[in-house]
Amino acid sequence: MTTVRSSPSTPGPAPSARLVDGIGMAAFVLITGFSLLLLVAPSLIVIAVSFEPRAYISFPPSGFSLKWYQSVFENRQLMDSVQVSLTVSFWVALLCLALGVPAAFASVRGTFPAKSGLNAFLLAPQMMPGMVIGIATLFFGAYVAFRASNTMLILALSVFCLPFVIRITMARLADLDPRLDEASANLGAGKIETFVRVTLPQLGPALLAAAAFTFIEAFDNVTVALFTSDVRGRPLPVELYYLVQNDSTPAIAAISSIEIGLSFLVMLVLARTVGLERLGSPSIKPDKT
Amino acid sequence: MSDYAAHRQSGLPVFVRRVLHGGGFWPALPAIVFLVIFLVLPMVTLLAFGFVTIERGRIVGETLTLQHLQSALQDTLIWRLTWRSFYVAVISTVLSLILAYPVAYLFSQTKGIWRMLILVAVISPLLTSALVRAYAWLVILGGRRGLLNQTLLNLGLIDQPLRLLNTDWAVIIGMTQIHLPFMFLPLLAVLSGRDRRLEEASRNLGAGQVRTFFSVVVPMSIPAIFAGLALVFAVSYTNFIVPQLLGGGSYATLAVQVYEQTVVVLDWTRGAVLATILLSSCFVFVYLIVAAGSRFSRWTERTS
Repeated sequence: MTTVRSSPSTPGPAPSARLVDGIGMAAFVLITGFSLLLLVAPSLIVIAVSFEPRAYISFPPSGFSLKWYQSVFENRQLMDSVQVSLTVSFWVALLCLALGVPAAFASVRGTFPAKSGLNAFLLAPQMMPGMVIGIATLFFGAYVAFRASNTMLILALSVFCLPFVIRITMARLADLDPRLDEASANLGAGKIETFVRVTLPQLGPALLAAAAFTFIEAFDNVTVALFTSDVRGRPLPVELYYLVQNDSTPAIAAISSIEIGLSFLVMLVLARTVGLERLGSPSIKPDKT
Repeated sequence: MSDYAAHRQSGLPVFVRRVLHGGGFWPALPAIVFLVIFLVLPMVTLLAFGFVTIERGRIVGETLTLQHLQSALQDTLIWRLTWRSFYVAVISTVLSLILAYPVAYLFSQTKGIWRMLILVAVISPLLTSALVRAYAWLVILGGRRGLLNQTLLNLGLIDQPLRLLNTDWAVIIGMTQIHLPFMFLPLLAVLSGRDRRLEEASRNLGAGQVRTFFSVVVPMSIPAIFAGLALVFAVSYTNFIVPQLLGGGSYATLAVQVYEQTVVVLDWTRGAVLATILLSSCFVFVYLIVAAGSRFSRWTERTS
């Protein structure tokens, strides 16, 4: 194994290549640094601004105060919209799990003709921009005499979020060892018993991750919600959308900071359950089975 | 399945046994029905609304008409807006690739806490509302009090506050940052799982780091690059929140126009026509990107 390197006397590239490497390295460090700054700085700035004691935004903040957080919690309209959003997100997550998990089972474990067609259909909503789903649901609702309401919002958001649940569940299911199920069957367990005692415990973390991801997507979504939500009981993103358009008080920074904190909580759940890296892997191969 | 287990289930009706067996498409049935009712039918309605005349919330006339589509296609404003949607999305998509690739590469080369930190930096925007991130850019770029202008003024680099907000670049920067994770995730999966022996071979054959990077690492990741490009283009092209908030009141793209017609003007026919144009042109562009990707990856396979 010592004869692999052909010319041990001249290790490494030629001097001209070294110059190119130097320039390349500098460009690499510069772009990477800028890119990471771009990703992180806006959130940190928003958090910093939220502690501003004066009535307008400045950076760095002129002092430290929690009064904007207090104003958020005292704002009746905002708190109502938070409650609406929490309720909506809960039902969306529940509905998506109920529909998505069995569908993922069929997609991964099933053997029937046109399976790839089924997969494509189930994941089709992710090709649709949220706005188009929102408008389509609004028009359809109007056509069948069903007005924009938070029920409509739940249904439209479930269409939007269903592919997330299916993808996360499919990825985990494809990783499971089918021999465990066979062993369970050989030991005399029926299908239901096998599912409850063998398959489900292995899926648990993935389901938790799917629920958390769906919840946060539904909670944050504004593109679907703008078209389908109730005019009176507006969800938080819609409320926030109108606030941002007309106003720039540090109160918005305070709400935003709370949302950033919430997203970190969800990220922690995802990191502990499926691992953050896995979030990306099904996206390139949606039909890896 | 063993005979014993099969025997245990034989008491059940055939239908139930087939459902439980898990081999069929039955478990997917609820999801299919749900999507047909709440995705397919609404999409059909959306398409149809572009071809009927609606007055005072009622469909007027019995027949479908191409009149609305024609008048939209003859409107130069619509073409201008489509062009703006297009170039803003293209610039933003290319910028995302340039910014995301080095980070994904760095991620694949590091271990431990740094790896984790990079991942958190990239994923956290994905889980934060786009509205919150757009607001952050309002704070940074906005007006005289905008953070960037304040800083530049304080440093003495400029005398007058720059007009940053309500420009194409404000929209492009905001979109790029908001959509960066979509570019990063496919790259991350491919770059982390790549075969590193090829790079060693390249280095051993005397190629420098830069050459190895461009002739070994980048060609390997072509499919992921194009997957990311397609995804980021699609979300940028159809985004209306960022152009509205960072572009200001008089700034419009095709997606913004769809929103305005549907929600503000309440001209649903126009909204439906524009939404159809938006969606179909988006599909065409995405298809072209995907086709270019598969062409390109075949080409790199042949030459390497």
